[in-house]
Amino acid sequence: ALPGATSYAEYGAASEVLPPGTEASTVPPAASGDSDPSPTLKLGAKSNCIIVSARQRGNPILKFVRNVPWEFGEIVPDYVLGQSTCALFLSLRYHNLNPNYIHARLQLLGKTYAVQVLLVQVDVKDPHQALKELAKMCILADCTLILAWSPEEAGRYLETYKAYEQKPADLLKEKVDQDFLSIVTDCLTSVKSVNKTDALSLLSTFGVSHLLPISVQTGPYHC
Amino acid sequence: MLCSFLGRASATAASLPAQPVMAAVLEHENQVFLDLFHQDGLVICARGLGIDRILLRFLRLYCEPASLVLVLNTSPAEEEYFIDQLRSDGVVHLPRRVTNEITSNCRYEVYTQGGVLFATSRILVVDFLTDRIPSDLITGILVYKAHRIIESCQEAFILRLFRQKNKKGFIKAFTDNAIAFNTGFCHVERVMRNLFVRKLYLWPRFHIAVNSFLEKHKPEVVEIHVSMTPAMLTIQTSILDILNVCLRELKRFNPALEVEDLSLENAIGKPFDKTIRHYLDPLWHQLGAKTKSLVQDLKILRTLLQYLTQYDCVTFLNLVESLRATEKAFGQNSGWLFLDSSTSMFVNARARVYRIPDDKISKKSKVSEKMDMKEGKELKRELVLESNPKWEALREVLKEIESENNNSEHLGGPGQVLICASDDRTCAQLREYIIAGAEALLMRLYNKTFGKDERAAEAWIKDRKAVKSKGNAKSDTGPQAKKAKVEASSKQNKIMKKQDLTLTQMMGKTEEEDIAEEMEGYKELSSSEEINTEETKPEDFHLNLASDAYYGIFKNPLTIIHPLQGCSDPYALTRLLHEVEPRYVVMYDAELTFVRQLEIYKASRPGKPLRVYFLIYGGSTEEQRYLTVLRKEKEAFEKLIREKASMVIPEEREGRDETNLDLVRDSTSATVSTDTRKAGGQDQKSVQQTIIVDMREFRSELPSLIHRRGIDIEPVTLEVGDYILTPDICIERKSISDLIGSLNNGRLYSQCISMSRYYKRPILLIEFDPSKSFSLTSRGSLHQEISSNDITSKLTLLTLHFPRLRILWCPSPHATAELFEELKQNRPQPDAAIAMAITADSEIVPESDKYNPGPQDFLLKIPGVNAKNCRVLMNHVKSISELVTLSQEKLLEILGNAVSAKQLYDFIHISYAEAISKAKTKR
Repeated sequence: ALPGATSYAEYGAASEVLPPGTEASTVPPAASGDSDPSPTLKLGAKSNCIIVSARQRGNPILKFVRNVPWEFGEIVPDYVLGQSTCALFLSLRYHNLNPNYIHARLQLLGKTYAVQVLLVQVDVKDPHQALKELAKMCILADCTLILAWSPEEAGRYLETYKAYEQKPADLLKEKVDQDFLSIVTDCLTSVKSVNKTDALSLLSTFGVSHLLPISVQTGPYHC
Repeated sequence: MLCSFLGRASATAASLPAQPVMAAVLEHENQVFLDLFHQDGLVICARGLGIDRILLRFLRLYCEPASLVLVLNTSPAEEEYFIDQLRSDGVVHLPRRVTNEITSNCRYEVYTQGGVLFATSRILVVDFLTDRIPSDLITGILVYKAHRIIESCQEAFILRLFRQKNKKGFIKAFTDNAIAFNTGFCHVERVMRNLFVRKLYLWPRFHIAVNSFLEKHKPEVVEIHVSMTPAMLTIQTSILDILNVCLRELKRFNPALEVEDLSLENAIGKPFDKTIRHYLDPLWHQLGAKTKSLVQDLKILRTLLQYLTQYDCVTFLNLVESLRATEKAFGQNSGWLFLDSSTSMFVNARARVYRIPDDKISKKSKVSEKMDMKEGKELKRELVLESNPKWEALREVLKEIESENNNSEHLGGPGQVLICASDDRTCAQLREYIIAGAEALLMRLYNKTFGKDERAAEAWIKDRKAVKSKGNAKSDTGPQAKKAKVEASSKQNKIMKKQDLTLTQMMGKTEEEDIAEEMEGYKELSSSEEINTEETKPEDFHLNLASDAYYGIFKNPLTIIHPLQGCSDPYALTRLLHEVEPRYVVMYDAELTFVRQLEIYKASRPGKPLRVYFLIYGGSTEEQRYLTVLRKEKEAFEKLIREKASMVIPEEREGRDETNLDLVRDSTSATVSTDTRKAGGQDQKSVQQTIIVDMREFRSELPSLIHRRGIDIEPVTLEVGDYILTPDICIERKSISDLIGSLNNGRLYSQCISMSRYYKRPILLIEFDPSKSFSLTSRGSLHQEISSNDITSKLTLLTLHFPRLRILWCPSPHATAELFEELKQNRPQPDAAIAMAITADSEIVPESDKYNPGPQDFLLKIPGVNAKNCRVLMNHVKSISELVTLSQEKLLEILGNAVSAKQLYDFIHISYAEAISKAKTKR
């Protein structure tokens, strides 16, 4: 369904052939409507694979997606990395040749996923001006900008997004010793006015069941 | 050759009247002072020519309540030194320091009290921005180490703020680092522009006034060119060969590198490591493993060269052997170890320590068991333990001094002796050498490093004795080396007699463990000597000297060894020099700054004799290194002189009127009616752009650059975020190292939580160092598998958990400032009061969460509750008070997981006593 020039592998040749104005034609016809998410999105559908848009066929980064399976599918973004995560891929060299391409893609994508990654491969010598524009664009379009400096690194990001789809944030949190005292101290000190010494003295006076409601007198969770 | 020292001066100018004034004013110093006093400018003075003395004069001048003078760019140790000097001069209103110990409320008072103030730059920036400092009352600013004033640094920011608010005060800048101006394009002009000065005063050592004045007060100089032993020479040649090969390889692999800076001559100089990092850092991630290992090799080779002349043969061999061992153990094949030159280096390094008699090996059949042979070798080692030629020269020099001191009545008694060596370790070795002798020192070192090879040692001692007696018998005919040995041993006896005068305790601290060990070993040695020599208690003499890094040797005349580098106090040697007032200085290692200091020292005490001995290995890299430094400085000055001649300085440079464009901040703040920079009908043109900046961020250069763009900065203490651009945009800035650190320790996670809670657009700004490569991971560091330790993995996880978190990647602070300006366009200004008030208790952004964050955090920390079941729990249970009343069954019903429910229930209902006992049994 897609015009040949839209696949990644051919962009180099295509960009020379096509006049700059034809970027709009890179929009796949399957999802021309902005308002309703295309039926092929399958939002919420669970899959163990990264779903790759056909337009990414031939992209060298696919060679480096090795730890996670992937398959082609009809999707609006370039990659669907989970139920609520997707990614657009952009090579800066391509962007410099076709600065409007990414605009069109972002517009088409809209805000359909919770995490929308713009994965940019830095493959030009002086990327700063382009990166600045992309940074601003990402803030306006609610995208997470991720930079990779090699196809390996870009592929690794795709893998990681998929592999970490369900991963809890424990890895990012401060490590707490797994004995009772550390846990309870950590728990109590999350209340702002309590420090570690306080926590211990409270604990020696009250049992946990008494302590918890006392320390958090705010009551309901709802604001 | 060595500076102005051209051999032995015939006589000293003893006719001049002796002045006891220590800080006598020198002619050229006077001129520097007057020039600078009359017109602001930048003084660049030759190293060691007393830039500190000139600054000191200015400080003395302004130490009065009527003036307010700020001093920038001094380190705490320097401040201490200046204050001490002024105190000893009897200055009443001593300079004070403004550091974070003085609270912000008290600072205004400190400023209004006047006098000289050493202030932390970060504090000054904030105080200028908030007008806490009465900028109109400032008399002027003195800038020390002015070569460091580049555009984006804090000090330049201070000067700019100062000039914007105060048009009358002076700015005077000082530096003694001419070489620093040799890098980059128009460096000196840019520095002067940042300093807002028009005048450049150059005072090289070859300046006519300096030269003719110092010529009049020449100290007596004795240059002793010590020749290296043949083995040392061969080793040096080998190392240079290998260095050359490595350099050539490096250039071959990286044709882009500047060839000029990578010459062999530069490679033996001190700053070479820095130069090479400077070239390679920006492309470090692209370099192949070969280049990286070459850089490492160069470093090792330079260390080898230094050890060769600096330390004894045993230490050198130890280093060489350890290189060999690591190569074997880790299989690091750096290539050069297999060159012919390196073989010759190994052979000679060993030959300096021991030899294995040939005849015995050849007698053994080659096919015989190798183990046996090895053992045989170990036992048959004959120790050679070559002494350092410089040591003997030092001995001679000390002897000469002693004999001169013996008939020194006309000079008023014996003169003090100061021996200078480059580092602490050398000093410790020299001290032991002078007291115990070369043999004892080398023997101890040998035993320490290569184990107690008793037999060989005994054999060696026996041998020595034989040589000694032989030497005594026919000392005239013996070869020179033997003669020296004899002299040494006789000298040693003399020292043994003087045992009661020696110092067995090392005064001063050691910096390396190595030295500590050595000294310990020495203590053992000396204590055993003590027992031998009728238990004389060595007199502990504590000199009340300013420096704590020296090694005393004899008390009468006072003989002291002091390191040239590596002291915690940079002025330790200067203080010592003026306190001890030596008549004889022995430069065991030559260092330019101190040589010049000696000249000044001599000139400031006219009439008093000073003799300087230089010990230098003739034709060695050590000599070359010294000469290179000398030449570099001379060239730097010549370049500066040329630049000065062709420099065009605009009239308004000093910024005393409104015409200096550097002081005009970018478009928006200026009262220009038409703004060409921003197209497209902006209706808030008149609004002053503001960014709220956290106090702690003033350590970075970003605030300065933002201010430069015409955006006002409000320094406040922020609990959430570093920069608030608009009421919605909150930015947390992380340098790469910060990013890695805070991803690992969990700080970034909690920062992101609070940013997301209170701001609509939380942003993580990743700022790269412009001098390093613009890349997060280096080439080839990617693992095959996804690893949770990778920074990229953690970043991925972070963005997955904070969908609203945006990431900015900025290659430099300049780019960041530009981006900030653009992000602020057409958006409302932030409010500092609101930003400051945001703490954990504030209201949260509506869309972030419908739950109260406090209890939610609390719940998440309880065992059995995790991110997934937290919501469910909160939907079912109204409050924590309710939670604790629930039964385990009910919890199970809510959580739907028996393990979680049990964990939660147990946690709530465990008693304190149980908990403690549980904790104990675990331990």
